[in-house]
Amino acid sequence: MKKRFLGGIIFSFLFAAAVQGYAQELSVDQIVEKANRAAYYAGKDGLADVRMTITDAQGRVRSRQFKIMRLTIATGGEQKFYVYFNEPADVAQMTYMVWKNVGRDDDRWLYLPALDLVKRIAAGDKRSSFVGSHFVYEDVSGRSIHDDTHELTQATDTYYKLKNIPNDPKGVEFSYYYIWIDKANFMPKKAEYYNSKDQLIRVIEAVEVKDIQGYPTVIQSVTKDLERGGETVMEFDNIRYDIGLTEDIFTERYLRQAPAQWIK
Amino acid sequence: MAAAVSAVSVFSPVPAQAARPSVHGFSEFAYGVKVSDDTTKRDNFNLLEERLQLKSNYAFDGEGYWARRGGTLNFKGDFTVDEYFSGRTDFELRELNFSWTPASWMDAKFGRQTLTWGTGDYLFVNDLFPKDYQSFFTGRDDEYLKKPSDAFRISIYPAAANIDFIMAKFTPNTTADGDRVSFFDSLQGGIAGTNSDRQLVEPPLQLSNNEYALRVYRGLGSHELALYFFSGFNKSPDSYKDEAARQLFYRRLDAYGASLRGPFFGGIGNAEFGCYNSRQDSDGNNRLIENSMIKFLSGYEKDMGDDLKVGFQYLYEQRLDYDNYTDNLLAGDFIFDESRHLLTQRLMKLYKNQTVTVSLFNFYSPTDKDGYARPSISYDLSDQWKLALGANLPWGEDDLTEFGQMKKNKNVFFRARYSF
Repeated sequence: MKKRFLGGIIFSFLFAAAVQGYAQELSVDQIVEKANRAAYYAGKDGLADVRMTITDAQGRVRSRQFKIMRLTIATGGEQKFYVYFNEPADVAQMTYMVWKNVGRDDDRWLYLPALDLVKRIAAGDKRSSFVGSHFVYEDVSGRSIHDDTHELTQATDTYYKLKNIPNDPKGVEFSYYYIWIDKANFMPKKAEYYNSKDQLIRVIEAVEVKDIQGYPTVIQSVTKDLERGGETVMEFDNIRYDIGLTEDIFTERYLRQAPAQWIK
Repeated sequence: MAAAVSAVSVFSPVPAQAARPSVHGFSEFAYGVKVSDDTTKRDNFNLLEERLQLKSNYAFDGEGYWARRGGTLNFKGDFTVDEYFSGRTDFELRELNFSWTPASWMDAKFGRQTLTWGTGDYLFVNDLFPKDYQSFFTGRDDEYLKKPSDAFRISIYPAAANIDFIMAKFTPNTTADGDRVSFFDSLQGGIAGTNSDRQLVEPPLQLSNNEYALRVYRGLGSHELALYFFSGFNKSPDSYKDEAARQLFYRRLDAYGASLRGPFFGGIGNAEFGCYNSRQDSDGNNRLIENSMIKFLSGYEKDMGDDLKVGFQYLYEQRLDYDNYTDNLLAGDFIFDESRHLLTQRLMKLYKNQTVTVSLFNFYSPTDKDGYARPSISYDLSDQWKLALGANLPWGEDDLTEFGQMKKNKNVFFRARYSF
């Protein structure tokens, strides 16, 4: 079964498995697998308020506020996401849904309330910006762990450092990236992306990680575009795991009408 | 690696906020300069207006029945000052409805609301809800292509499929009337402006003139299958009630169709079919009433990466009983073709962290020898300010085709919007 990985420090807030602390003699694949689960698969389901602060190279600031819900269908595999936008005003009440698939493109829908229009979004490019931020779609839904070849380059007392080289260099803006994984809980703490000239072009960092209901959870993360300038800070609030979300929430019914039980 | 403990806890309990209605909306200035001559009311522009949109909703709170049933009151209204009509002020109620969940497997919405379904991009086969084509051709935001309906919508969700049932009061499309937008008026024998003197007769407001629309849909893996049924009126006046009195009317129309949409060759593919039964001329013998018709639409959209999206559509339309139609024409009648092929193309590219959108939408009909180009560029100055510049460029060899008749309405528009 294909499994997804990193980039997605960001949504890892919801997702982190309670992991046994002492992991010795783990293979690279085991580390990657554990980190993938820690970053994306905490709890059966979860919900959080997200605030994104996007600062462009000229220092202009924009913000996004949305509520996100996530349901895991298969641990390490399929998941469903639901996003409800609160701000800015011109996208308020817009909803967005992703079915993260395994072995094929994700399914994405967008609902535009002004037109009462349910749009199907071509999955296509996972390296394009998520809602105008410096995070990319793949940071959100996760990069398949089979898309890269992983190599353990360093292991200290506190973290593993992995080098990841894309199997298909076409369609990605980086040549390779490093990732630091916390040995204590397998949470990815930082990722650095390099171009073919070995220049650092992009950094994602989990600035603050907290324990929520027993799951290590990213409370704040930041990504910096070192090529063009600009950064996005993402903050999570009101995080709740295992609240009993059901699969029917992730359908056109609730895309058109946000589930009042969860979205106020 | 121990997580740093922040001094300020972000988990201080926040008391649940009471459902207080908040007001959002925008204020907008729009100006559309005309770049072709016709005989409408004004030569220089066909759009010049200020608009204030306010929207709000109130969700019932507490333990009462409506709170438990998710009762929500929704409002959206537009105040406009229309300089095209010398500063005429107007208010358009775009939404005033009450939505609730009568049962776990059912949703309901009663009141004024926007209704949309189907799979087309600017092309509609089974979406027979009201549209505003004047807005579309003069450069208002896409939102205004859809006109709200006064309707009662019930959606039910049994296991096998989902069902939408809509009962609505008849609302006509806003089509070219010669005042603002010129069009082909057969009573004038060509493209007409203010000289158009036709009368549009709406069906009287009575129960038997209610419209009904039904959609049954379900997912098939990643694909969506839908069946449609509609019984009501054709919302554009294309048939004659009394030729001598220059009266046109909205003929009765029944339609049924189906659509399929889903992943296709790395993009999204869609196919939709519709069969229109012109009930007052079902055999096609009446030269004054438009014939029955079939429509087939297919489309494909793909994300090319780097924030570039492309889309293509093909629409085929065919008048049924065409021989009966031509056999019954009188000398001097205009003849419309039996079939029409229409192609569309959408190109959309985003720049600068998705704050700049460059878009080109093209309609082209090889059979009608006409088309319509919609280039635009918009820029999100901030979360509040948005600027848009674009053009509406319909063209055509003939005067009576869908886009050819609009060719004198070419404009270049500018909009500035402040959202709050």
